[in-house]
Amino acid sequence: MQRVPMELASNYEIVQTAHFINSRKFTRVALQFPDELLKDSTRVVSVLRDELIKDSDGEDAGRDVGLFVMADTTYGSCCVDEVGASHVNADCVIHYGHTCLSPTSTLPAFFVFGKAAINVSDCTKSISECLSTSHKLVLILYGLEYAHVIDNIKESTMLESSAICGPKPGLALHYADVMCSIMDPSKDCSTGHEKLEVSDIPGNGDCSHSEQVGSITTGTNYNIGGLRWNLPEDHKMEDYLLFWIGSDNPAFANVLLTFNKSEIVRYDPIGNGLVKDVAHQGKILMRRYYLVEKAKDANIIGILVGTLAVAGYLRMIHQMKELITRAGKKAYTLVMGRPNPAKLANFPECDVFVYVSCAQTALLDSKEFFVPVITPFEAMLAFTRGSQWTGEYVMEFRELIGSSVEVDSNLEEPRFSFLKGGYVEDTDLQESVEEKETINSLAEATQKALQLRDKYPNSLVKGNAKSGAEFFSSRSYQGLEMPSEDSSPRSFVTGRTGKAAGYKDENNKQEDL
Amino acid sequence: MVKFSSEELRRIMDKKHNIRNMSVIAHVDHGKSTLTDSLVAAAGIIAQETAGDVRMTDTRADEAERGITIKSTGISLYYEMTEESLASFKGDRDGNEYLINLIDSPGHVDFSSEVTAALRITDGALVVVDCIEGVCVQTETVLRQALGERIRPVLTVNKMDRCFLELQVDGEEAYQTFQKVIENANVIMATYEDPLLGDVQVYPEKGTVAFSAGLHGWAFTLTNFAKMYASKFGVDEGKMMQKLWGENYFDPATKKWTSKNSGAPTCKRGFVQFCYEPVKQIINICMNDQKDKLWPMLKKLGVTMKPDEKDLIGKALMKRVMQTWLPASAALLEMMIFHLPSPHTAQRYRVENLYEGPLDDQYANAIRNCDPEGPLMLYVSKMIPASDKGRFFAFGRVFAGKVSTGMKVRIMGPNYIPGTKKDLYTKSVQRTVIWMGKKQESVEDVPCGNTVALVGLDQFITKNATLTGEKEVDAHPIKAMKFSVSPVVRVAVRCKVASDLPKLVEGLKRLAKSDPMVVCSIEESGEHIIAGAGELHLEICMKDLQEDFMGGAELIQDDPIVSYRETVLDKSCRTVMSKSPNKHNRLYMEARPLEDGLAEAIDDGRIGQRDDPKVRVKILSEEFNWDKDLAKKIWAFGPETTGPNMVVDMCKGVQYLNEIKDHVCSGFQEASKYGALAEENMRGICFEVCDVVLHSDTIHRGAGQIMPTARRVMFASQLTAKPRLLEPVYLVEIQAPENALGGIYSVLNQKRGHVFEEMQRMGTPLYNIKAYLPVRESFGFSGALRASTSGQAFPQCVFDHWEMMTADPLEAGSQAQQLVEEIRKRKGIKAQLPPLSDFEDRL
Repeated sequence: MQRVPMELASNYEIVQTAHFINSRKFTRVALQFPDELLKDSTRVVSVLRDELIKDSDGEDAGRDVGLFVMADTTYGSCCVDEVGASHVNADCVIHYGHTCLSPTSTLPAFFVFGKAAINVSDCTKSISECLSTSHKLVLILYGLEYAHVIDNIKESTMLESSAICGPKPGLALHYADVMCSIMDPSKDCSTGHEKLEVSDIPGNGDCSHSEQVGSITTGTNYNIGGLRWNLPEDHKMEDYLLFWIGSDNPAFANVLLTFNKSEIVRYDPIGNGLVKDVAHQGKILMRRYYLVEKAKDANIIGILVGTLAVAGYLRMIHQMKELITRAGKKAYTLVMGRPNPAKLANFPECDVFVYVSCAQTALLDSKEFFVPVITPFEAMLAFTRGSQWTGEYVMEFRELIGSSVEVDSNLEEPRFSFLKGGYVEDTDLQESVEEKETINSLAEATQKALQLRDKYPNSLVKGNAKSGAEFFSSRSYQGLEMPSEDSSPRSFVTGRTGKAAGYKDENNKQEDL
Repeated sequence: MVKFSSEELRRIMDKKHNIRNMSVIAHVDHGKSTLTDSLVAAAGIIAQETAGDVRMTDTRADEAERGITIKSTGISLYYEMTEESLASFKGDRDGNEYLINLIDSPGHVDFSSEVTAALRITDGALVVVDCIEGVCVQTETVLRQALGERIRPVLTVNKMDRCFLELQVDGEEAYQTFQKVIENANVIMATYEDPLLGDVQVYPEKGTVAFSAGLHGWAFTLTNFAKMYASKFGVDEGKMMQKLWGENYFDPATKKWTSKNSGAPTCKRGFVQFCYEPVKQIINICMNDQKDKLWPMLKKLGVTMKPDEKDLIGKALMKRVMQTWLPASAALLEMMIFHLPSPHTAQRYRVENLYEGPLDDQYANAIRNCDPEGPLMLYVSKMIPASDKGRFFAFGRVFAGKVSTGMKVRIMGPNYIPGTKKDLYTKSVQRTVIWMGKKQESVEDVPCGNTVALVGLDQFITKNATLTGEKEVDAHPIKAMKFSVSPVVRVAVRCKVASDLPKLVEGLKRLAKSDPMVVCSIEESGEHIIAGAGELHLEICMKDLQEDFMGGAELIQDDPIVSYRETVLDKSCRTVMSKSPNKHNRLYMEARPLEDGLAEAIDDGRIGQRDDPKVRVKILSEEFNWDKDLAKKIWAFGPETTGPNMVVDMCKGVQYLNEIKDHVCSGFQEASKYGALAEENMRGICFEVCDVVLHSDTIHRGAGQIMPTARRVMFASQLTAKPRLLEPVYLVEIQAPENALGGIYSVLNQKRGHVFEEMQRMGTPLYNIKAYLPVRESFGFSGALRASTSGQAFPQCVFDHWEMMTADPLEAGSQAQQLVEEIRKRKGIKAQLPPLSDFEDRL
């Protein structure tokens, strides 16, 4: 009876949470649980409520704190669901479970990473093994759920490696730090560009600013997925062997793609083993490269809003729209929660989707999707003429805000499409700029489509539509036909009955077969 | 060689009656390039200032090394006819000077796209046939292609020297061999009955067949001998020609011509008596160094040798004597001038083959009349890499009007549709260039009927294009070329150093430009793919890519990839059903194989989505026994809306069916492109939509519900209809002497090939073997064959058909199943085939 709440309290950092709430005097608190932790939510609430009362002894004991449990987030559960929280007028969010630590735009948030079990000694052994076999420096990165043991690991490696390789092991081994567990909304979320200058100061526990790659006097700062580390000036990321502690989750994929030039090994705490999967990483990149090439041929692009919380998302969407229009293509903005093949297939006119979301939910690659879904960074590559795929990869869209790839001078040259194996001309840029969005645009497009009718009305070929209206006008089904002559009402017919999974009349038919 | 300034050359270009554009075509190793070289040596035009520069045809190092031609090269020849020899010429002419634009093309089947490009811009063809090997597969292919383009052929029976030196056959036997060769060629040509082109068969007695020895630089036509004897015997030249071929016998004893061999030992066929024997005699005398006999004979023939040449002995002497007596250039060039059409003549009938638009508009008329004052019509047939890296000359022919430096032209690409702006650019020509040997000379303008190279347009032309004047907005393009081979062998390339990727991308673009056939594309997995016609073609492409287009950056080339096709053997064993994600809609489908020949008909474009439905119904019902009503209910072809698979509507009385048609078709395009087995294209599958249950609210039967479901149900029906893989198969032709046959058979057996024809060539010890060989096994086939026959056999592979692999890919451990697994692994998909239950739902 007593033991379980103890573990729960430590796992869910009840004491720290209560302290956070009380010290800032929040009265309405939203607790955001991912689906897999939802089962603990009621217990967490009751324990937290007790703790809140205990913690707030003297001062304002009578203060009433409202706790609200939020579940089933619209987008990825790694981001703070600010829209959900504002439904209950919450003034802060406690986020449980795996997180991407993307900055919030309106509400302060407290993150509880959870504490996953790990065999420290085995992990330490793997690290020292890496140290002794690799001639490179080693940088330790880890999933946030393992942050709680990182000090232990640090200590024990120190001991062990000093035993093996002498007095100065610290030089070869670098650790990333967890950035923060408390986040205040960035005040200047609309002007993301300026954040570059106000880059973070090392050791600052409270991080109100976004995690930009900024340089400070002593070297280069790197931030990714809530981790932060600092490298001496003359060191490059390529010089390091990255040692990842954690499972093969989106956070790891993020690190993999961002630092695709570094050697990466992964320690799997569940299987207790070292995974060296280098080929895997190359495959993902190649696949993304293909998707970019495919996106270049697109005429109509859907911008999928994949977050309503990550700071700067609106700016990014605007930037994407501008980029696409400048490239002479048509953009439609779609809000649909978490995308799946069926949802996206409802927009068959889109040749490609750009998914604006936090870094860890950004990669959607499944052959189930009929068309590619790419990240904003890939969109910038695809829709800027003359840009080249260099292997550099940016997952965080916030690093892209305001930046633009410079336009190539010889814009006139037609583009070579690797999918078609030849040169293709893009939509006449000037023409599309002149064309204004008017109320009549649908009618005009329809007219145009009618003029370009094929020789044979029944031919089964469809042209490449340049806008949604054009696409619809080329569909074979145009809506209900109005029979003009026969106005007499149809005779009465009995409809189907039963469930959609199998109507009653159908069951009979199956038996007949 | 002829020394010329560019002004002088430009002057002849205006005489459209005195131009001959012709290509040299033949089977590999029949001596095209050698023959061309001897022509060039005599009549090639070189720029005045570079005179003395010996080498004319600047062959690539790899061409010399392999002894085969890889790229077609264009050379201009100049020939001045004498007034008397032109006396019998009946056509239009303009002085005695002639300009011959000659294109030497490769003979290896892998490079036949180069031949296609060459044929487009020429009007006549010199068909070279080895007198021993005769008409071979590639001779036939290119000849058919030439006739299809309405190109008039003349023939030369080459390698005559082999007859005299190697085989030492006697006159009558030689005659029979030549007769057979000419007959074989005529059989092919006779199939192209074309009223406009007239009779295209070749006849020695009409002077359209030459006999040549390219290696020794001599050649003759019957005209040469007829002329000689006509003056000697005092008979008519034309009559003499008739006597020199066919069943005409002469007995010097009686001095009488007969139409049958009289049986007397002195009675010989005219050809043997008057042509073959004298040549043989001279050669023998020379080879035996009987100079005392030689000089008087030469004097009689009117041949004078230079003093220093008189000291030569043996083969060198023979060569020199023959070259002086019967120079190859004179015989062949005169044959071309006499019997091949000028642009003015040829364009009159070729316009129908060339022009896409209406044949009575001003552009068609300008082409028809070869009118230099008409609107510009220029066809760019290939892109030639220029010496400065990354740039290309656009090489082509002016069919009408003039193209000049600085002129603004409309570039109509292969995808241009008149009236739209698709694939259309307006740019100005920076320079117009003509080739004088290996040197390019800029000229002010080039009139119609000539070949030309243009600078400054390369960025806008992929492989070929039609150019017209800036204001000629209503011009239609010239028809695109049709290639006889298709790129079936593919290889994935990647850079050794990852940062070289931009270089690779740029290099692939240039490669795609420089070769009319190669296709550079990208796979689903992000790998760059180069597709070519054969192993050799790919090898050359890789070399070009690495050395010329990427500046030597290191490349890694994976093993060649063969693309397979997925098909079905039988009708689905039951009607399969899949539910939409919301479970409110159900699609019922069945798959069945298309009728034999139907997939091919779709490939050839006889049946396609653009056809008039009436025509389509007619072909389907008459040739393939389709029900007429059913034929009307074809929803789509796929993949890419043109492929050899279909969806057919078999439903009866289903509500809202029209509404989901588009969605089903979209799902079908996707499914037929990436089949269920190994994500290869499907081929020859007909999907029948048997029944459909739809939700009554539109919103619940939108594209999002139907498209994924259509794909799933098609996969399910494919898997229930005994799915099979199709593999591509080559037709291999091998020529080899009898003792090499054993080796050939054993290599073919190892490689899963099977021989279906073995024939001995008449009058030769050579055998002709035809076999089928899976493309997958063809890598290294040439090498293995060479090794096991000590280099005596040389194969030619052409893609022939798709063959079904009998093994069941669904059966664990079968060969097909392993293959599927291999492909899936390469593509980065789960190696295990997904179970049927992933696609099929139950009520």
